[in-house]
Amino acid sequence: MTPKLRLALFLLACIVTLPAILLLALHMPAFGAHPLPYGDAIDAAAPGERHISNMVSAINFDYRGFDTLGEEFMLLCAVTGTVVLLRGSRGEALEARPGIVKGRRILPRSDAVVLIGRLFAPLIMLFGIYVAVHAMTTPGGGFQGGVIAATSALLVFFGDGYHGWRGVMKSQVLDALEGGGAALYALCGFASMAIGAPFLTNFLPLGTLKDVWSGGLMLVENAGVACAVGGGFAMIFLEFLEETRTKKGGAKE
Amino acid sequence: MSILIAALLLLLAATGAGVVLTRAPRRQVLALSVNGLVLALLFMALQAPDVAFAEITVGAAAVPLLFLIVLASMKMDRSPRPPDEP
Repeated sequence: MTPKLRLALFLLACIVTLPAILLLALHMPAFGAHPLPYGDAIDAAAPGERHISNMVSAINFDYRGFDTLGEEFMLLCAVTGTVVLLRGSRGEALEARPGIVKGRRILPRSDAVVLIGRLFAPLIMLFGIYVAVHAMTTPGGGFQGGVIAATSALLVFFGDGYHGWRGVMKSQVLDALEGGGAALYALCGFASMAIGAPFLTNFLPLGTLKDVWSGGLMLVENAGVACAVGGGFAMIFLEFLEETRTKKGGAKE
Repeated sequence: MSILIAALLLLLAATGAGVVLTRAPRRQVLALSVNGLVLALLFMALQAPDVAFAEITVGAAAVPLLFLIVLASMKMDRSPRPPDEP
C-alpha cells in the first residue's frame, strides 16, 4: 500500500466516522456527571449493610464478589503460564551471572543506590501491607497492597543486586502465596455454602463501621487476594529477571 | 472542570503523544512509565484513589520494568549457545 493510498483511505475513514463521533461527543453526559444509579445505591447501602466505608471493596468482595473470584483465577492462570514458559534454562542458580550485552559495561553500584534501596524497601513493603490491611476503611485493598509489596521487593534487587534479591525471594514461598491466596478466596465461597447460604454470602460478624477489622468475610477474601496478587507479581518479576542471567560464563557483577 | 484536571488532561495528551512519537524502544518504555504516572495523578484528581493506586504500581512501575527486562534479554549476547538450548 503506497503512502498516498493510505492517506486517502485515512481521510475517507475520517469523513465517514466524523459525523458519528461528533454526534456522540455532543450528547455525552457533562464532565463529572454520573447518570447511572448503581454507584449512588452502593454509597447509600454499603455502610449500613456491610459496615465498611470503602465502597470499592464492598463491590469487589461482596456485591460482586463472584467477579473477583474470576479475576483471581485469571491472574493465577496468567502467572502459571508465564512461569511454565520461562522456568528452566536461565538464572535458576543463585550465583548465575548477568548476561553480556555487547558494548555495554556493567557499572558498579553506587552507595546512594544501595542506601535508597535498603532504606525504602522495608518502608514501601510496610506501606503495601498497610494498604492491603486497610481495604475496608480507606482506598486501596488486597490487589493494590499486594502489587506495592511485590514491587518493594524489587528495591532489594536495585540496592543489593541479584544474589541478595534471590536470597529473599524463595519461589516455593511465592508459589504457595499465589496458589494459597486464590484457594482461600474460593474456600470463602464454599464455607458459605457449607452453612447453607448461597456462594460467597457474608456470614461472619460484620464489626463496627470505620474499624479496620470490619466487613466480616470480606477481610478473609481481601487477605486471599493480597497474598495471591503479591505472590503472583513477585513470581512474574522473578521469572522475568532470571531471563537477564546467562547459563555459562557471563559478566562479572 | 478545575484548572488542575484541565492541566492534567493536557499533560496526559502530551505524554501520550510522547509515547507514540518516541522511536527508540528503551526511551519509549520510560515515556510509557511517565504516561502511567500522569494517568495515576489524573485518577487521583478525579477522586478515584483505588484506580490511581493500581495504575501507579502496574502502569508506571511493573509493566515498564517487564518491558525493560525483555529489551535487555533481547540484546544479550547468547553465542556460543549451550548445546541443550535450541
